[in-house]
Amino acid sequence: MRIPSGRFGNHSVLTLLVLVGTSPCAVGQPIYFDTDVVPLLTKLGCNSGGCHGKAEGQNGFRLSLLGFEPEQDYEAIVKEARGRRLVPSAPAASLFLLKATGTLAHGGGKRLAVGSDDYQTLLRWMTNGSPPARSSDPTLARVTVTPDRVTFEAGNRRQPLKVVARFSDGTSRDVTRQAVYQSNEPDLAEVDDAGVVQVKNRSGLFAVMVRYGDQIAVFHGTVPHHQKVATGSALAAWEKANAVAGIDQHLVANWKRLGVVPSRSATDEEFIRRASLDICGTLPTPNEVKAYVADTQSAKRAKLIDRLLERPEYASYFALKWGDILRNRGRGYGTSQQRTGTALFAGWIRDSVADNVPYDRFVSELLTASGSQETNPPTVWYRTTRTSSEYVESVAQAFLGIRIQCAQCHHHPAERWSQADYFQLAAVFARVGRKGGFADAEVPTSETIFLADRGEVVHPRTGNVMRPRPPGGPDFELSQYDDPRRALAKWMTADDNPFFARTMANRMWGHFLGRGIIHPIDDARSTNPPSNPELLDALAKEFVTNRYDVKHLIRVICNSTAYGLSSIPEDANKDDVQSFARYYPRRLPAEVLLDGIGHVLESPTKFRSVAGDFPAGTRAIDLPDEAVPSQFLDVFGRPARNSACECERVDAPALGQTLALIGSPEIQDKLTADKGYVKRLAGNGKAHDENVRDIFLRVFGRPPRPKEAAAAVKYLESEADRKEGYSSLLWSLLATNEFLFNH
Amino acid sequence: MRHTISRRAFLGMSASIGAFAADGLRVRLAAAEPPRDRTPDKSLIVFWTHGGMSQQDTYDMKPDSPAEFRGVYRPIATAVPGIRITERFPHQARVMKHLSIVRSVNHQNGIHAPSAHWMQTGYFGPTLARNAPQKPSFGSVIARSRGASQSHMPPYVAVPKAEAFGYQGAVYLGAANNPFEVGADPNARDFRVPNLALPGNLPLRSVQTRTQLLKEFDTLRRDVDQSGALEGLNSFKSQALEMVTGERVRNAFDIGKENHRLRDRYGRHLYGQSALLARRLVEAGTSCVTINTGYWDHHDDIEKGLEQHLPPLDVAIGALVEDLDDRGMLNDVVIYCAGEFGRTPLINGNAGRDHWSDCFSVLLGGGGLKGGQVVGASEARGGKVIERPVSPGDLLATLYQALGISLDTHYEDASGRPVSIVGGGKPIHELL
Repeated sequence: MRIPSGRFGNHSVLTLLVLVGTSPCAVGQPIYFDTDVVPLLTKLGCNSGGCHGKAEGQNGFRLSLLGFEPEQDYEAIVKEARGRRLVPSAPAASLFLLKATGTLAHGGGKRLAVGSDDYQTLLRWMTNGSPPARSSDPTLARVTVTPDRVTFEAGNRRQPLKVVARFSDGTSRDVTRQAVYQSNEPDLAEVDDAGVVQVKNRSGLFAVMVRYGDQIAVFHGTVPHHQKVATGSALAAWEKANAVAGIDQHLVANWKRLGVVPSRSATDEEFIRRASLDICGTLPTPNEVKAYVADTQSAKRAKLIDRLLERPEYASYFALKWGDILRNRGRGYGTSQQRTGTALFAGWIRDSVADNVPYDRFVSELLTASGSQETNPPTVWYRTTRTSSEYVESVAQAFLGIRIQCAQCHHHPAERWSQADYFQLAAVFARVGRKGGFADAEVPTSETIFLADRGEVVHPRTGNVMRPRPPGGPDFELSQYDDPRRALAKWMTADDNPFFARTMANRMWGHFLGRGIIHPIDDARSTNPPSNPELLDALAKEFVTNRYDVKHLIRVICNSTAYGLSSIPEDANKDDVQSFARYYPRRLPAEVLLDGIGHVLESPTKFRSVAGDFPAGTRAIDLPDEAVPSQFLDVFGRPARNSACECERVDAPALGQTLALIGSPEIQDKLTADKGYVKRLAGNGKAHDENVRDIFLRVFGRPPRPKEAAAAVKYLESEADRKEGYSSLLWSLLATNEFLFNH
Repeated sequence: MRHTISRRAFLGMSASIGAFAADGLRVRLAAAEPPRDRTPDKSLIVFWTHGGMSQQDTYDMKPDSPAEFRGVYRPIATAVPGIRITERFPHQARVMKHLSIVRSVNHQNGIHAPSAHWMQTGYFGPTLARNAPQKPSFGSVIARSRGASQSHMPPYVAVPKAEAFGYQGAVYLGAANNPFEVGADPNARDFRVPNLALPGNLPLRSVQTRTQLLKEFDTLRRDVDQSGALEGLNSFKSQALEMVTGERVRNAFDIGKENHRLRDRYGRHLYGQSALLARRLVEAGTSCVTINTGYWDHHDDIEKGLEQHLPPLDVAIGALVEDLDDRGMLNDVVIYCAGEFGRTPLINGNAGRDHWSDCFSVLLGGGGLKGGQVVGASEARGGKVIERPVSPGDLLATLYQALGISLDTHYEDASGRPVSIVGGGKPIHELL
């Protein structure tokens, strides 16, 4: 125990007498600013982003966000405002405590009860003379949570957690009440301030982030289906009937853990529509559907997937995806001369996809690109991505699957990323030089990208010049003549890189299964764990072993059991949203939807841009950039390519979308097109039931059910004008969810 | 709350994505937790002076300064002793006790696009060189946080269209919160809303038939989707069909239903009829209507430009205040007139005024805000704030506070980072 001295003496002794047996810290231990006081400020919410933790502070009192900069906090509490926040002679009368306890008016209300343990801790620290952190103070080494993994069997809905902080001097202490908690799946489980986890009535996996000070621990919860025993036998029967091999083993293992039973296998009609849409962004034709259903060969799904991967639509569709991620923007490039760069880059991306260029090479070529944007297409990536923060955030999010943006201004609140991580990654790009180009547009275009002789990035707080270093990796050993970007690409594409292959595997899984194994796909964190780590590891390993062969990765995913399941839920998986026990439906992306409508109605969309008309037959998935005007595409969520996040493509429903489905001139024009499908149906003289069959195959990729056929024919017969009849029927089918969704 | 459960539910779901990343930042997602002190029926009507209206010729006159500063207009007395405004604003002068002027608005940018973004969103962000919108407009925030008070109405409407920079949109709040654009001049003799029109010459009967057929064939099981997307789409389908075929929404937009004398009072011009349409819309349940009626970028011959815009703007605001008051709605509807910045105190060589953001004025009133106030002051010749600076964020905070939207509300951007709706702004307590 520190010996109280001088004028504080009597007061301290008195206080300590009161404290015996109540303080969370055993009496006799000093109170340390960094490891006792600051974590309390976090727990009490003082340094949160909505209060004193925000950049401008609150009412003149500013703390570092979540206490990641304790030195700054010490200054703020003890020295700022001429020290009026603390009253050394009477700590209990300090503004600091009077505000926190709501004794004096406090915008944040009452955060702390007078006399509570936390109150006593703060009071004792002040009574001790409000000492700053000293280099001899023990530091927080780590935090552990026990239990760290629980399966909530039936009847077990509640789990108190115990959190222990371990310090560098070998001591440890229970900090359960001082730690902060957060669940990553609030629909599945909640956790209160006292660290008690409460699960809800859904099954699945969740994680609880536990933070004390600057350390994080993770609790993993599994909530099996409430009738796990019954589902267990159903699953056993399912396993017997299905040969389980390859990555499917990891799916099945997870289903067992959760007591989830997969839905039945998708029908042939469902599967060909799904695979054509997911691989080629294109609806199957009636003849393709018929031929596939009639096919009796073994492994016909695998063969279909192979065929689809060789089609030009595959290259177009995935080039569109990469055009979004790599932000190949057209907006702002008003003249045909400026558009060259956009078109060149789009072409390069498409060629790379069509040639199945190994993914490691594709990314390396982009990152290390030098030369003229008029002749070396990947340099065009540097046209839209041009600031320090854009380099860092794009690379981290697109290729490493991590969101590091937070660390630009403060330590990431839920990960290990510090400002140093951020600015050291920025330093990799510090020497990207630009010359030439012209800039009568939004940003310069036709520049030449080169490695400049010098260029540096400094840490905004410390002012230190940062050495190039990848997140979580070692500083690069570089000479003046080395391009740090090469070092980054080499580090990234090394077989043992923890992020690169996993991010792509997860991205592709998310594309085909509707949800990443890590979700969202670019938010990998220890506190946001994969829903099936073994599955993700296996996919990443498969990808690396096969030398980053993207088509191989797609084959593995599309041939998995999960991809071939029906979307219709069973009792034993109806609330499943993360174990892939059924196919999760999603709305067709804007471009696929517009192309699909054009395809059904045999009336392709005509696209125009400032540089002139696109050739007839150009489809929405072929468009090089987001600036080709189309109200329909914008309304249905075509991204503006403002960020490297796939989340920018919104599939959330909106009123504008349904208004467009009902009233858009675009659809009406296609319904009434001169050479269109409706005209042909009206004039082909065939019986309604024959036409209805073709219509359903075309729109839904399946023949009509008898009831549907009867209703459609009945309606057509009631309509005197044959063209009006077919027009109305098709309009209504195109507005159904069965058409609008991939399922 | 009068929103349909399903729509609420799916909005809530999309809002919870990535909420984990927001730890510790005290995210208050409106869908998950309704704002405190919500005042359900309050709404907002905005007159957006796109291009930048001259404060010196309108709300903050400097009659005693030299001619090259003071401009051509003289101030007139208003119904509130001590408040004087331009002689071109007699209608507002008459109802000044309901309106307040903030004369000390300022920000640090003098270019249209970045300034418009700042005033619309509370954040400096895009520059001329990088002009993509980064943050949601206040209209989209209002739409996102409270929807329409009648669920069949669009929550956020732009008359006749959203302004040209594209900063009146929702960005990461999602397309559902973009403004619904009327797309036509409400003063036109044959005014109708193209977005509500039936395609081609399709008779209403055909749409009704189609709707029947859709019901018949739209049979995909709802339980296949747990994400809320399908349920949400279904609810928007009903809303869209209701808008196109039903009476209620068409009625709200049918300005022809207004009495002729009232239409005359608002003025038979784009400003007046837009304001009248806005009143019909908020009455029917829309939460925010932004009127984008003029281009105020008067670098040359400012008198000529102002002569075109000041009188109709004045008639429209004056009539709106009186009409709302007559209907007992004035306490429920906030009126706001602002643009991206003001104009230089010194008249330039072309008899115009250039961009000025160091000190300019906005007008606020109704919705329970105090009227007859002047907040802040500028120096003798305008140009600089000398008292009580007000930021764009402060203005938004004032609007949200008046509408009962919690200032703690944060929404996640594309990276999952929670972003405050006020960006550090604080409400103008003198008006609340």
